Amino acid sequence: MIHIISFANRHLYEDVLEEHFRLRHNIFVEERRWEALRKPDGREIDSFDNEDTIYLLALEGRRVVGGHRLYPTTKPSMMSEIFPHLAEVRGCPSDPLIWEWSRYFIIRDRRDGNLNLQLMAAVQEFCLAEGIAKISAIMETWWLPRFQDAGFKVAPLGLPGLVEGAWTMAALIDVSHDTLRSISERTGLPSVIQRKGPHLNAVARANLHRKRNDIIREIA
Amino acid sequence: MPGVDYGREALDFIEGLNGYSKVPAAMDALERAFCRFGFETIIVTGLPNPDQNFSEMVLAKRWPAEWFKLYTENNFDRVDPVVRHCRRSIHPFEWAEAPYDPERERGAAEVMRRAIDFGMQRGFIVPIHGLTGYEAAVSLGGVDLDLNVRSKPALHLMAMYSFDRIRRLLHPTLDPTPRLTRREREVVAWASQGKSAWEIGEILHITQRTAEQHLANAASKLGAVNRTHTVAIAIRNKIINP
Repeated sequence: MIHIISFANRHLYEDVLEEHFRLRHNIFVEERRWEALRKPDGREIDSFDNEDTIYLLALEGRRVVGGHRLYPTTKPSMMSEIFPHLAEVRGCPSDPLIWEWSRYFIIRDRRDGNLNLQLMAAVQEFCLAEGIAKISAIMETWWLPRFQDAGFKVAPLGLPGLVEGAWTMAALIDVSHDTLRSISERTGLPSVIQRKGPHLNAVARANLHRKRNDIIREIA
Repeated sequence: MPGVDYGREALDFIEGLNGYSKVPAAMDALERAFCRFGFETIIVTGLPNPDQNFSEMVLAKRWPAEWFKLYTENNFDRVDPVVRHCRRSIHPFEWAEAPYDPERERGAAEVMRRAIDFGMQRGFIVPIHGLTGYEAAVSLGGVDLDLNVRSKPALHLMAMYSFDRIRRLLHPTLDPTPRLTRREREVVAWASQGKSAWEIGEILHITQRTAEQHLANAASKLGAVNRTHTVAIAIRNKIINP
């Protein structure tokens, strides 16, 4: 199952989160060589890991086997702060109903199986449940056909650019029942997410970070 | 193309692709768009396994007929260095970047040489790697190309979305079947038994107007032009049992 971990219930998952930061370092720094993320303590943590981050982690017992995270675009996001040039044509989203999806990983010995599809299903299932309408992402361009294969509707926000030697693009992905259904048909699982403990209302949380000017504009 | 806003042009093209519901019309759009970069040939194709024929893998193409005949008859795909490099690459590349040894790989040298006779002097190929190991590509060729650091990212994205559109048009089952509500299914099922909207209303204890509305909704979800067509599509897609 894919567990939903937020500020509200992280006390139930401290060991899991810790392991996941180390796995991220193994995968993104040691394996994929994103040197900019290297940390002396071997825990890959960046400025988008904080009390507003929601982690979706695949667990086998207490063992983390894969995951990704979501972050509100009403706060400065990876796209707006680090990769705005990739979203030059359509612009970076900033909306409580749009969350940024990042740090998609699967441990090495689970990459051939069903887990990939389950992780894709998890983001759709979670966002549908929370009323999140779209997800923004910085992704390697060669993944685009893989997402499309799984039934994701992915719209580009700009042209691809090279990031650490890999063509990378900014995209906006629809959250939809159709997409979830087409993945569920392939995984054979009607539901993949699991929640424990208190749960955080994602959209309400994102609203707290809206820029004053945006709210005023909306009211006026 | 100096002064071209490659980004906007590419994204507008990509959004426009959804408007095409037939492969030939979509291919015309691809031809027009890639022609602006100087490309004269286009192929959208899966890459064959050892036991598959190249010609069966092609989804759509605008290739000179003579070249396609020559290419398939000689099984050039088995020696084409561009095809070989495409399988190993996740990034797009110019044909000239596909490595081969002209001395020891005579077949490779021949494909590259003969392509020139058909106006395919230079080219750009975008590899596609699907979820389940599916390998495919969009390959574009021509003579006088606008191929540079600014145009390549635009071509890259345009080619990837072109592939997805063409594949969906050829295999519409990839698009999930629209879902009817329980009421819509019931109404369509009764319509398939020859009942009128008034009769369906009586059977289901709803007004004739509501029954008509359910039928209209079902028709628009299924892309049907009238009631008979709605029933036909619903049966074909096993939404109702005849």
